[in-house]
Amino acid sequence: MQKSLEMMDQSGSNSYLIDEALWEKINERASGSANLCFQCGECTAVCPWGIVKEGSLKVRSILRGAQLGVEDWDKEIWLCTNCIQCQSYCPRGVQIGDIFQALRSLSWENREVEPGLPSMLWSIYWNDNPWSQPPSERFNWARGANIPEFDCQEHEFLLYIGCTSAFDNRLQKVAQALARVLTAFGVSFGCLGVNEPCCGESIKSVGHNPYFRETAESTARIFTSAGVRKLMTLSPHCYDVFKNHYRTVLQEESFEVFHYTQVLAELLENGKVSIPAGFIDRALENNYSWIDPDGVTITFQDPCYLGRRNNEFQAPRTLILGIPGINLIEMENHMQDGLCCGGGGGRMWLETPSGERFSDIRIKQALETGASILATACPFCLVCLEDSLNALGKKNLFVLDIAEIVDMAIGQSG
Amino acid sequence: MTLSLYDARSAADSIWVFLEQDRNSLTEISLELLAKGRQLADQVGWKLGGLILGIRNSELCSEAVAHGADEVWSAEHELLENFTIDAFSTITFEMIMEGKPGVLLFGATPDGRDLAGRLAVRLRTGLNADCTGLRLRPGTGELICDVSGFGGGVLALIEMGDHRPQIATIRPGVFSKTQPDWKRLGELIKFPVLLKAEDIQTRIVKKVSGEGVDLTQVSLIIAGGRGMGGDFGALQKLADILGGEVGATRPPVDDGYIERERQIGQTGVVCSPKIALCCGISGAFHFIVGVEKADIFIAINSDPSAPIFEHADYCVVGDVHTILPLIKEALQTRLAEEI
Repeated sequence: MQKSLEMMDQSGSNSYLIDEALWEKINERASGSANLCFQCGECTAVCPWGIVKEGSLKVRSILRGAQLGVEDWDKEIWLCTNCIQCQSYCPRGVQIGDIFQALRSLSWENREVEPGLPSMLWSIYWNDNPWSQPPSERFNWARGANIPEFDCQEHEFLLYIGCTSAFDNRLQKVAQALARVLTAFGVSFGCLGVNEPCCGESIKSVGHNPYFRETAESTARIFTSAGVRKLMTLSPHCYDVFKNHYRTVLQEESFEVFHYTQVLAELLENGKVSIPAGFIDRALENNYSWIDPDGVTITFQDPCYLGRRNNEFQAPRTLILGIPGINLIEMENHMQDGLCCGGGGGRMWLETPSGERFSDIRIKQALETGASILATACPFCLVCLEDSLNALGKKNLFVLDIAEIVDMAIGQSG
Repeated sequence: MTLSLYDARSAADSIWVFLEQDRNSLTEISLELLAKGRQLADQVGWKLGGLILGIRNSELCSEAVAHGADEVWSAEHELLENFTIDAFSTITFEMIMEGKPGVLLFGATPDGRDLAGRLAVRLRTGLNADCTGLRLRPGTGELICDVSGFGGGVLALIEMGDHRPQIATIRPGVFSKTQPDWKRLGELIKFPVLLKAEDIQTRIVKKVSGEGVDLTQVSLIIAGGRGMGGDFGALQKLADILGGEVGATRPPVDDGYIERERQIGQTGVVCSPKIALCCGISGAFHFIVGVEKADIFIAINSDPSAPIFEHADYCVVGDVHTILPLIKEALQTRLAEEI
């Protein structure tokens, strides 16, 4: 059933067709959220795409189309990184991120998605990871490190590494550092090794809901049969999907989800552990020649999926401030206003043209603080920011995950 | 399990290859499969047959025989001028039911895959897709196919028991073609075609030929990264000598030194060449994912701790601008000697 609404502009040529079936679909998938929008335009104004692209991303007008059931969007829905800067400013509390995901899910049904995305999903289907890597190599990051295999009778936490950190060479170093830190702090943990299943976040982020559901059900079953009660992730993306989207898959919440910074911060706050003062020595050993031996300045990239999306701004800062000899300086956009690195919302699987990358802006902001270390707590942030830094050429700035910084402070060799 | 329409006992001692054509000559994959088919046929004393469907096949039939076919089943009809699944599956099915080959090979091309799949169902037989190896068991005529899976983590050897024909699709570049012998003789079997235009549900409206390169079909890739300093001319010269194509990582594409369609990686092209020579590339994972399926992966980088060395088969630590001219010189000398 279609209602046709004719709207003529001065030239008398525009007409819009309201598609009630489309409106109902969007309404259902975004839980009616689009109805709250009153078209103020804050979303378009604060969207980071406005910094890098002429004309920005027209969030308001996409929302209007979704609200009416008028298909007035095209490939631009794939630009969204789901950083929800828009949502955090929206005076009506519209779940803008969910609406973009709803529109993407319709694109899958219409078989009109960005190139490369179907292959990414097929990779998860065949290899249980989006990087086309052999599943048998999933535990290679732990070679020689004696990481315990998770046993629910023995271990308090399942340490969930995630596909990207398991396989990406740069990020494997973060996984290794985190394992060392957890061991040094006496945290009881184990890993699922080669049997670690994919969390499905990359599927959810590109809007393929049915396949996400299938993957999440399978992963949840594996966790349940392994007796997982507490799960700690390396990536905020895995954290976000386990915490907020597995509830629809599991009947009740069968495991508690933490990001690793939360676990470590709690230990620090309770006085159970303290971080030794080894960072500067280790930094100088590794030829970080710009480090000031009298005090290192660090700035921190709030991961959208930990900070704005899940309201966790404090735990990473507690850790940084707990390291002796470190000064924390904030970038221009921080905490609630943190600037996205550009990797979320499925954009790790899509190409962003040079000159349009948020991480380029972010590196400039980091350099402006005069900090010598840019700390991250997300594998996607780390990869995007390091890539932008490399593109700029040699600078006195290093990108390190918090786990790596704490690992260096503890000073055990790997 | 369903039985195939004919079984091993009724099958002829023959290997057939579905031959594809492009501008009045057989495609590379067809010649590669004829070479492999000939080798297998000689090992077990079987015949090699080729299937050609088209509008004017005589030159193609001669080419097939010169490349090893003992017999060519040729169907000529104006409705076979272009590949359509309806027409081609009808005619090839009839040919197969008459000749009952023991083995049937297709190139893993869009048309080959389309036809192989439909025929496998129609014949109630098995199909091994994207094989990287083929063997015939002497005495029994059983085909053993090598199929890799899970990103190369598993190699399966697959047999089909009593089902015939044993169908396999093979990717271009897996086998090598041989030189034609124009003195070879073969039998031409002209196959009658009874097709009506109403039988075909599709109509070719327009054929569009694209410009540009498809790196996924190239067997030798020379890729350059930031370390090349934009000097892609040096890589192109090497590629010209070796008969390959030039690829790149993202930074030189960003800087405008090379086209986006030559960007290799997770968000670019994922290729699987026989040889990948990576010059001045540090080895960020996004890039590695696009090139690690290469059979032989060679990396040249001046930084001994570059992550690319964790993936390359052959690692050369040194300045790319010094090493590449030396390679070019050595190749030119070697090629001059061979002539």
